Amino acid sequence: MNKVIKFAGAQVFSQGKLSQSEDSFWLDGKMVDKPSGEVVEVNAKGCWLLPALTALGVDFCEPARDDIYTLKAGFEAMYRGGFYSALLESCYNPIDSIQRLKAIQSECEKSKLDIRHLAAISLNYDHQNLSEMLELSQGGAVGFGDGGELPADLLFLRRAFDYGSMTQKRFFMQPQEYSLSSKGYVHEGSIADGMGMRAIPKIAETIAVYELIELARNTNCPLHLKQITCAESVDLIKQAQKAGLDVTCDVSVYHLLFDHQILRKLDTNAFVLPPFRESSDKAALWEGLNQGVIQAISLAHKPVLEQDKLTNYESAVPGAISLEIAFSALWERAELYLKDPLADLLKLLTIGPNKVMAMEDSKLNWFLFNPEATVELNKCFFAGQVCNSPLLRQEINGVVQGTMFNGQWRNAQ
Amino acid sequence: MSSLSMRHLLGLRDAKPNDLRVILDTTRSFRSILDRPVKKVPSMRGLTVVNLFFEDSTRTRISFELAEKRLSADLVNFASSGSSLKKGETILDTLRNIEAMKIDLVVVRHSGTGVPAFLAKHSNAIIVNAGDGANEHPTQALLDMYTLEQELGSLRGKTVCIVGDVRHSRVARSNIWGLSALGAKVRVCGPSTLLPKNPAEFQNVVFTTDVRHAVNNADAVIALRLQKERQDDNLLPSLREYRNFFGITEEVLESSKAGVKIMHPGPINRGVELDSTVADGSNSVILEQVSNGVAVRMAILYLLSGGLAHE
Repeated sequence: MNKVIKFAGAQVFSQGKLSQSEDSFWLDGKMVDKPSGEVVEVNAKGCWLLPALTALGVDFCEPARDDIYTLKAGFEAMYRGGFYSALLESCYNPIDSIQRLKAIQSECEKSKLDIRHLAAISLNYDHQNLSEMLELSQGGAVGFGDGGELPADLLFLRRAFDYGSMTQKRFFMQPQEYSLSSKGYVHEGSIADGMGMRAIPKIAETIAVYELIELARNTNCPLHLKQITCAESVDLIKQAQKAGLDVTCDVSVYHLLFDHQILRKLDTNAFVLPPFRESSDKAALWEGLNQGVIQAISLAHKPVLEQDKLTNYESAVPGAISLEIAFSALWERAELYLKDPLADLLKLLTIGPNKVMAMEDSKLNWFLFNPEATVELNKCFFAGQVCNSPLLRQEINGVVQGTMFNGQWRNAQ
Repeated sequence: MSSLSMRHLLGLRDAKPNDLRVILDTTRSFRSILDRPVKKVPSMRGLTVVNLFFEDSTRTRISFELAEKRLSADLVNFASSGSSLKKGETILDTLRNIEAMKIDLVVVRHSGTGVPAFLAKHSNAIIVNAGDGANEHPTQALLDMYTLEQELGSLRGKTVCIVGDVRHSRVARSNIWGLSALGAKVRVCGPSTLLPKNPAEFQNVVFTTDVRHAVNNADAVIALRLQKERQDDNLLPSLREYRNFFGITEEVLESSKAGVKIMHPGPINRGVELDSTVADGSNSVILEQVSNGVAVRMAILYLLSGGLAHE
């Protein structure tokens, strides 16, 4: 049985805004009257009690690459970042059979977090043999994905969409035309030209966005485009949505923070794929969020070992982690770009991703955020053995103090 | 017996209900002949039929041969392997050469849609379509319709559900046209990858990917043969999943009418599209279909040759 939790002096986010600072008592995730018995008191002066977040695009690597990261580390990162729900899709562990789905579901249940799964469209992501999508859907997969690599064979992709459309589950695809991008690793722009780096043009993304939208139109299949990066993609998706297609999309945390100027530092922790684009693209992505064209912010949480980042830029493994710091990194930036900054940001990290996954909002789980606290991000801030964030060794304002998940208080660090 | 308004049997898509009625009624007479000790009649004595099979066939070819023999016709079998077609001759030249040998009817099967219609247009022989591509297989549909009438009485208002690879099935198409023409309600079910993409062509036919919904209150279920190569073409992930979601099992049939008739054009993939308990169960009329096939083909050949034997 859970104890009553007292948040002393917290502002509670309710009905789209923060309340006055006051003491509040909580049992099983709901505010209650002051009880007579024992309470767990949390000093929450100056803090905000906010609805727990939902993470799209997380890869916890286990079991195939538990040398990099584990489910346990991922769950810990979720607690530290205020995330109660997540959509898992691992590039290392295709969930291509009901046995694999059941096994990972069983492991994730132990976390007491709400972890959902994307099933693979093909066996072992081979893009040649369809997975048993009907059974995977029945087993609880919330949608289907390709492990981050779009099949080159459009006939295969069409058949996958067509077959999967029977489930009415969403296809989560990374729009990337590999024949145009496979040898590049940075945005094709002035910085790449100036430094002589092999680049990925925007059309590698926009051509794929167009193809995927047309396939979704042809097969009547719900589509989600993962981690779009440029203004042109936003425009294409906007047109598709206007035409009535069930197309959603997300943008990653770091694509809202950085543009290709960061390349100048040659910081391998800032090496992500798809690459950071122009500042005008970053602005278009924020505008896409404001207009509702982009429904969710993705975590794109991809752990990479330190040794795989301690090398020259071209040889580094792409990817960044973000669960622990996403909200802290975004909330001040949201003030600059979003119309109703806090409410909109929360929506993009709760209702938006939940809607994309067709899951209900969690109304009984909360996290406590201190906007006044400042912290330097060091290795200890991150769960597991990885720390591959472009914000490593930087100071950020605003820290998640703890979570109240399933009615229980837990300090973040 | 009435005569047909058509000279050839190319398909059921544009067949007149009255023609279908004449064929089914005539079939009844020939069906009774097949139950006699002597199953042969002289109706086509002196006429020559060429079975022009450009595609492998066992059941349909044997069924036609038996029908022709029981009508006392002379018959010639032609298989494309080892023929002049292999030497570069066109299909029309092949037919014209055969025609020059004074034949009367040609039964043709070909992998290309519209080949029987093409031959009918450019030759003088009477053409019977024994299957053209994924377009039509009218004699199979007619034997299905005859079997259903035998079991259920009039087809008007009856619900017939066709389950399987409809997109690639000539049997399904001919059944859809024929059954609809005689007033049956047709439901079609299969994985979305195996259903026609534009069902607007099939007016009044219900399309669904939910087999339980498809068989609900159905009077008859026609399971189609699933070609194993559909899996290689990524139209299906596995036969296992097909069986689990589209296979006709006793459990699936629980919502259909008591005594629902089970049909299959053969050969059956047991445990895939049809469970053995269903295929061999008391409601199965699969072997009856085979028997009726000969009678239906006798009726068609007899009616199309109408009077030729007496000229």
